[in-house]
Amino acid sequence: MTAPQDPGGPGEPAGGGAGRGGPRAAGRRPGTRTPLLAGLLAGELPDPGYAAAAARRARRTGGPARRPGRLRGGGVLLVLVLTGTLIAVAGAEVRRGEPVAAQRRSRLIEEINARTAETDALRRRLDRLRAETGRRRAAALARSDAGRDARERLARAAAAAAAAPAGGEALVVTLDDAPRAGTDSPGPRDGAAAGARVYDRDLQILVNGLWAAGAEAIAVNGMRLTATTAIRSAGEAILVDYRPLTRPYEVTALGDPGRLRDAFAGSAADRRLRALKERHRIAYGTRRSPDARLPAAGPPRPRYAVPREGGGR
Amino acid sequence: MIALIGLLIGVALGLLLQPDVPIWLQPYLPIAIVAALDAMFGGLRARLEGVFDEKVFVVSFVGNTVIAALIVLLGDQLGVGSQLSTGVVVVLGIRIFANVAGIRRKLFGA
Repeated sequence: MTAPQDPGGPGEPAGGGAGRGGPRAAGRRPGTRTPLLAGLLAGELPDPGYAAAAARRARRTGGPARRPGRLRGGGVLLVLVLTGTLIAVAGAEVRRGEPVAAQRRSRLIEEINARTAETDALRRRLDRLRAETGRRRAAALARSDAGRDARERLARAAAAAAAAPAGGEALVVTLDDAPRAGTDSPGPRDGAAAGARVYDRDLQILVNGLWAAGAEAIAVNGMRLTATTAIRSAGEAILVDYRPLTRPYEVTALGDPGRLRDAFAGSAADRRLRALKERHRIAYGTRRSPDARLPAAGPPRPRYAVPREGGGR
Repeated sequence: MIALIGLLIGVALGLLLQPDVPIWLQPYLPIAIVAALDAMFGGLRARLEGVFDEKVFVVSFVGNTVIAALIVLLGDQLGVGSQLSTGVVVVLGIRIFANVAGIRRKLFGA
């Protein structure tokens, strides 16, 4: 039985097998073994099984140890056929497994799409139901004086809390990163190979300045801001209400554009942004928009309200 | 030449018959193939050096495949299946490399 090759070294190569050849062994102390990797890469580690068999044959027949072995014996043929079959079968298994994996992946993708569509449908239904609730509430409150007062207060509160869509004339202020061309604006704002970037505090200052100038509602890139919406940055992206924005950043402020512009023009926010534009080439421009529609912000999650006990009235 | 034909016949048989490998045997097929390759190259090298022996060849083939599969099977039972499989593949790869180097020396070297 052929033992697996002893990785420590060949030991005594018996018989006519290729022995330790070459100049590599010449300068070595006797008794040391050929190192494994050096030996194998020089082809010095023969299987002792064949060498031993050849030696046995030589002893038995008394003739020369070397003999061209028969490669056409029955056993050899059988072994070769078996090997070929093994290789073919394993290769076929691998090929057969591929479409299954691809199928599984495409099924997962289908499921993802289906669930996303479900979620979208649910969200639309939610919006519809909310609109209907608002309508019924308005109708119910309109039936009495106290109700109408309540409805007005509700409308003012909703406007302040940005719970309802708003539209009208607006002033649109655009902020964008500096173009990448030059490296001639020194300072800590520079990225590695890009121009200066807009930071979250620039957006914050701009939005606060617009509120101070009298804007009725503000949205950034279509996302409505409430009194508690956070403008932060995470890495290189600016997040509004924890959702990332892509540049350019368009801030839409509802209100009379002329009045807004005049009120905003000399303010600290405007001065700072102009300085940014001159020194770091941040793009900063304003324009009027005759008809802007701002969506409602997400509904506020009540933190202190609890549902009333008992049936509603 | 006949040996090569035998190998090709085996490949053709495998592709034609498409035998269904039982599930529990499938993970050991690759190891068995590497072990078989080691026996092949060992036989080829012995043939080139003139010490080929049929019995040694057949026994080495059977021994290699069975022992390699058994080692990996044992490793699977003990929880070190992948590590033992890696070890077996490394050792067999080294042997294949050694035999191929010997063949190369015989064919192109001395």
